[in-house]
Amino acid sequence: MKKALFLIPSLLAAGFLAPKAEAVPGPSVEPQRGKAPSLFERLRLNHLYTLAAHRSHSSHRSHASHRSSSGGGYSVPRQSPPARTYTPPPSTLYNSPSIVAPDPPTDSRNQSSTPPSSVLPSPPAAALKTLPGNAEKFRKIAEEVQLALLAYGYYTGKIDGVLGPESKAALSKMQADYGLKVTGTITPEVLDALGIVAR
Amino acid sequence: MIPLRFRAELPPIEEPLVVRLRDWLTGGFRSDREAVLLGIADGGREYDFNGFSLRIEADPDQSLDGDVVMGFPGSSVVHRLVRAGSSHNTFLITERCDQLCVMCSQPPKQAHRDLFPQFEQAALLAPIDATIGLSGGEPLLFKEQLFALIDNVSKVRPDLRFHVLTNAQHFDSDDEAWLRGSARERILWGIPLYAPGAADHDAIVVKEGAFTRLFGSLAILARAGAMIELRTVVTRRNAALLPRLARLIATDLPFCASWALMQLEPIGYGRMNWNVLFHDSSVEFEPIARAMNIALALDIDVALYNFPLCTVPEEYRHYAPRTISDWKQKYLETCRQCSLKPSCGGFFEWYDPKRGFARVSLT
Repeated sequence: MKKALFLIPSLLAAGFLAPKAEAVPGPSVEPQRGKAPSLFERLRLNHLYTLAAHRSHSSHRSHASHRSSSGGGYSVPRQSPPARTYTPPPSTLYNSPSIVAPDPPTDSRNQSSTPPSSVLPSPPAAALKTLPGNAEKFRKIAEEVQLALLAYGYYTGKIDGVLGPESKAALSKMQADYGLKVTGTITPEVLDALGIVAR
Repeated sequence: MIPLRFRAELPPIEEPLVVRLRDWLTGGFRSDREAVLLGIADGGREYDFNGFSLRIEADPDQSLDGDVVMGFPGSSVVHRLVRAGSSHNTFLITERCDQLCVMCSQPPKQAHRDLFPQFEQAALLAPIDATIGLSGGEPLLFKEQLFALIDNVSKVRPDLRFHVLTNAQHFDSDDEAWLRGSARERILWGIPLYAPGAADHDAIVVKEGAFTRLFGSLAILARAGAMIELRTVVTRRNAALLPRLARLIATDLPFCASWALMQLEPIGYGRMNWNVLFHDSSVEFEPIARAMNIALALDIDVALYNFPLCTVPEEYRHYAPRTISDWKQKYLETCRQCSLKPSCGGFFEWYDPKRGFARVSLT
């Protein structure tokens, strides 16, 4: 069980995955450039939208969605986030990691397989602006965790705020020893156990 | 009903988090934008996001692979912005609106939070060839940001399409150049028009001058060659006016790609005002039929949205696609044995048979 849990983050961190995002497939639709089309041309231009079904009425499946209410707003907390106040449950209650590995095809966890969801694009790195804030905060907390793991003798690597395979192995070991859910990631329980407040 | 929110335990974030969930690692995995599933236990899913734990409480049978979720600091909920297997993904740009339509299914609120950067991230992570709905409120109250969002996303993801629901009160001639650009071919504008005259339309949207402004905007969109879907919610306020509206559309607005006649959605103001607004088309389809005949004869494409097939006369059923969004769609007991069910959109989750169609029948 534990091995399976290590496997993913370790592969990920060890760079076993294609580092470069693949180009986005899909139709290469170039907007017309140059001279602005006349009104007649503009109205005649094929839109990318397919409303083909409208003409034939044979299949309305491609119709636009009804799309009226979209399910209420997004509940945005008003105040700045409170410091984590997890009450650590008595550790004796945690007897074993109860995580059950998901059930994908057995060879699906490597990059050579083609999972069903391979239609998902991998946007080029440049396209994704990193939103400010979280990355830096993650790094700082990861550093604190590494430092604590070092102090407790689980970790001997660099204190760099990057959660590589060594950090993840250390986290898993520490989680197992403390009777926490073994994930190899920084969970709220890990932060509590190590006395780190994620402000 | 398909959940659009999940209880969740988020990593220690200080900015809103937008992340794509994956069940397994694939080539091109982006550890800063994607979280990978470690396991499922007790209804909770444990994800690894950048070495941090992300827990989501969701039905274990439900696939979240490829979904994009958004979470806020200090919150214990994630919003499912994009569902990978659905064609009904809609971003709620704002809850503000400058109209107050009597049948509004999403009554406006004054509070607004700018989530454009988050929507942009989410769109970039959407499945290939997806259509993304941009709705509100009135999304064009934030026109500049909205256009920038569409531009930014389209540059990287030319495969995406947008379906923008707008009251068309905010276009001006300066927008024509933009509308004529790459936006033209990737946006479908869903625009409500409720009556063939200013007095009736303005009364329904509760805004004086709305009709005139709307026609000004439609002219701008027409000059730009934009793709327009007119949307008319049928109520007792306008049912009798539909044949005249059909003529108006055919003569004055023939450039519109389609005209959707829509049944009332019993939520928001639509629920509050149901008893005065609901036009029982299962009993009185005649004005709708006449309007459709006129429009079709004059080469306007017509569709019936949100009409259960058994409430529509047989000869008009093929104009009624399954439009009710998957996450808020249901079927009644009566529907179980119905032969039309596979092609029928069913009912809104919040439909109440006691106040609903008089004739709902097994076919």
